[in-house]
Amino acid sequence: MANLLCDERDVKFVLYEQLNIEELCESEKYSEFSRETFDMVLDAAVKLAEKEIWPTNADGDQKGVILEQGAVKVPESFHNAYRLYCEGGWSLLAVPPDMGGQGFPSVLNCAAVELFSAANQAFMMYPGLTIGAARLIEKYGTEDQLREYMDRMYSGEWAGTMCLTEPQAGSDVGALRTKAVKNPDGTYKISGGKIFISAGDHDLTENIVHMVLARVEGAPPGTRGISIFIVPKKRVENGELVDNDVICAATEKKLGIHASATCALNFGEKDNCIGYLLGAENEGMRIMFNMMNEARLAVGIQGLAQASAAYMHALRYAKERVQGPEIHALKDPTAPKVPIIYHPDVRRMLMWMKCVTEGIRALIYYAGYCEDRIHAAKSEEEAAKYQGFLDILIPICKSWSSDMGFRVTELAIQVHGGYGYCREYPVEQFMRDSKICSIYEGTNGIQALDLVGRKLAVKQGALFKSIVAETGNLLKNASKNYRLKDIVEPFAQARSQLVEVTRYFGLKSITEDFMIPVLYASPYLELFGDLAVGFMLLWQAVIADRRLEEIYNDAKADTPEKKAEVLRTNRSAAFYRGKVASAQFFSNTFLSLSKGKARAIMSGERSAIDLPEESFALF
Amino acid sequence: MDIVVLVKQVPNTTEVRIDPKTGNLIREGVESIINPEDRHALEAALQIRDNTGGKVTVLSMGPPQAIDGICEALAMGADRGILLSDRIFAGADTWATSTTLGRAIRKIEQFDLVLAGRQAVDGDTAQIGPQVAEYLGIPQLTYVQKLEVREGAVIAERALEDGCEHIEAPTPVLVTVLSSLNEPRYPTVAGLIDSTRPRAPIEIWNGADLGVKAYEVGLAGSLTQVVKTFTPKGARNTQYLEGSPAAVAAQLIDALRKKEIRLGE
Repeated sequence: MANLLCDERDVKFVLYEQLNIEELCESEKYSEFSRETFDMVLDAAVKLAEKEIWPTNADGDQKGVILEQGAVKVPESFHNAYRLYCEGGWSLLAVPPDMGGQGFPSVLNCAAVELFSAANQAFMMYPGLTIGAARLIEKYGTEDQLREYMDRMYSGEWAGTMCLTEPQAGSDVGALRTKAVKNPDGTYKISGGKIFISAGDHDLTENIVHMVLARVEGAPPGTRGISIFIVPKKRVENGELVDNDVICAATEKKLGIHASATCALNFGEKDNCIGYLLGAENEGMRIMFNMMNEARLAVGIQGLAQASAAYMHALRYAKERVQGPEIHALKDPTAPKVPIIYHPDVRRMLMWMKCVTEGIRALIYYAGYCEDRIHAAKSEEEAAKYQGFLDILIPICKSWSSDMGFRVTELAIQVHGGYGYCREYPVEQFMRDSKICSIYEGTNGIQALDLVGRKLAVKQGALFKSIVAETGNLLKNASKNYRLKDIVEPFAQARSQLVEVTRYFGLKSITEDFMIPVLYASPYLELFGDLAVGFMLLWQAVIADRRLEEIYNDAKADTPEKKAEVLRTNRSAAFYRGKVASAQFFSNTFLSLSKGKARAIMSGERSAIDLPEESFALF
Repeated sequence: MDIVVLVKQVPNTTEVRIDPKTGNLIREGVESIINPEDRHALEAALQIRDNTGGKVTVLSMGPPQAIDGICEALAMGADRGILLSDRIFAGADTWATSTTLGRAIRKIEQFDLVLAGRQAVDGDTAQIGPQVAEYLGIPQLTYVQKLEVREGAVIAERALEDGCEHIEAPTPVLVTVLSSLNEPRYPTVAGLIDSTRPRAPIEIWNGADLGVKAYEVGLAGSLTQVVKTFTPKGARNTQYLEGSPAAVAAQLIDALRKKEIRLGE
């Protein structure tokens, strides 16, 4: 039995057949690696995910975290999993070798993190946030800060967090009030409260290093006056760890990721909390934004991971669960009962889940791959090209993946029927855990505004044009293959719809009607995401179709019967056939809706903003 | 203590399917793994080395791709890997395999302990360990579930059908282990990178390196030959018993007696 966390064959298809990541090894940066190394790392990741991390998933969900006397305890089972994760060097996978890491390409890291997150999203919050915080220190820290914090965080000895949100400052981060007052020795006294701090406190490590956004006394209001500080839970004094006046006041009771401690943290209640400035004063937002792409991609991976696990579980259930006869024998009470995968409506749901999951996977890995191509680029031009792709795709990776990933988990419950609604099966947990992805790390509404308000505007739409040109190249290539005609046509149409809506937004944004692009940013992102995922699936179909034809030719399968026989007996053939089907299904069920979606946006319908607040409902 | 661990690459049996038409195993797309019990042997070796020093050498015989298993063993912490790979080794039964492995261990020369899994999941013979010990002329301890190392000796707890026994044996000695012995560690990412580098401490030995003749090893050197493999047809003859519980019980006892199945005292 293959693992139930992700389709390893599909992972390898994206890595080796679609993105051809072995080519990365030709660059000096990745010359240490080979396909052999990649394969071994992936295999090892599967084992760790399946055998050690997955068994902690339901346990963590049921037990959650416990807050006692200002200290949080994670479920006992997490301790062993965390130890194995750190000892194995998994947190160091994509960390550069000169920082003590393994230096693997990001794209491979995406695949490994997908597996681990599918095994337990709540668990992965702890190492995930630690790496994010350590990266900030790596990039902006002084040598002392690197030595003091970064090394210990990369190894997992200490953990880390990002402390942005305050009760009045969520999406509006500029409204934050946490205060920093400079001490004579150059350190700062920190005071204030933060909420919704993931992994804010726990007992996995002896120390936690918080990256805290705060305002230095006298700094300008808004985002320009924000600085970022390293605020450890325990600070080092004379070689010893002493309490740094950071208290966990509460942990949230949440819909999902119960075992991820979502904390309210109070800094400096006893006026004894010291923070160390990272970078320069008032540079906090700029520094934080540097990590945005990576953090948002990480959330996209979470959306993918839950979708992947949900799809695999639903598929297995549909093959095992016997209910009712086949549709054409519905009236015959003596007809044999069949597994529910024989029922058309179940098939439709599975197909939906399959193509969406595979599409997200390709999109997310592609974003990771763009990052690698930036690092391995031979020219500045090449690096800029991939940076552009990455920048415009990030809000889509985050939002489309989390929105559609959530729907995949919801469908997994539907496939399971009543059992899916019960805790006996893990799919309801997937759905609950997945929901957070559309909310944190910038809500999906914020992502849509980032896409429409910022990314489309970069260099007069240059990012958009370059990505449209890239889809054009694929279209040209795919159009040559008559077998892909049904996929290509809806794709080409969706592409022109997106271009048209983008032009429409461009026009609206310079008129008084600039509210329209803001109002329809989310539907626009969805339309963009449809095309981006359609692009990935069409790309895959071109490759899969070629491979499938090769297999048919080798087997001399020239009739439908012989082809059917090949599909039954040759697993590769069955896989490639499935890839082409994913693209075809997606084209016909998603991309064919583009016209309607575009029309809805361009209707300029303004009820939502024009309606007086009082008219929504009478309270 | 210098230790040689015998490791076999086997198909991941949880993934193997049988072609209903031909009755053959469908190996396409099935990954190879280190034989599960061999992992426990390796873990035992690594623990002993970590405590007492010495060197752990992993020895495997198989086609070139069996090197993956050796890489994984190195990534778990083994010091050296040797793959015995040669066309003349192909098709070996347990006799020829033991001969080949035995020759290789003699060539390694320096060893105090040979560790192996009890048996491989693909063949299930449990013959390799004992035969290698015989070939080398050293004591053997099989079915070991606890293992302790002393100066010049090992003390083992062997699992028997009706209990267990404690045995001490002088080194050099061969020990085959059960999975209850320990919990194998995972390979580390850093270890995986090192093990796939060109400088990784892996050697590949062929027939000439071992100084064996073609007729001594492989199919030619095998004492047994496979004539045919097939899936036995499990024809079931179901009989339904009807009536009151007492009547059904009586019928059942009669039926069992007729088949001469003993019902106990």
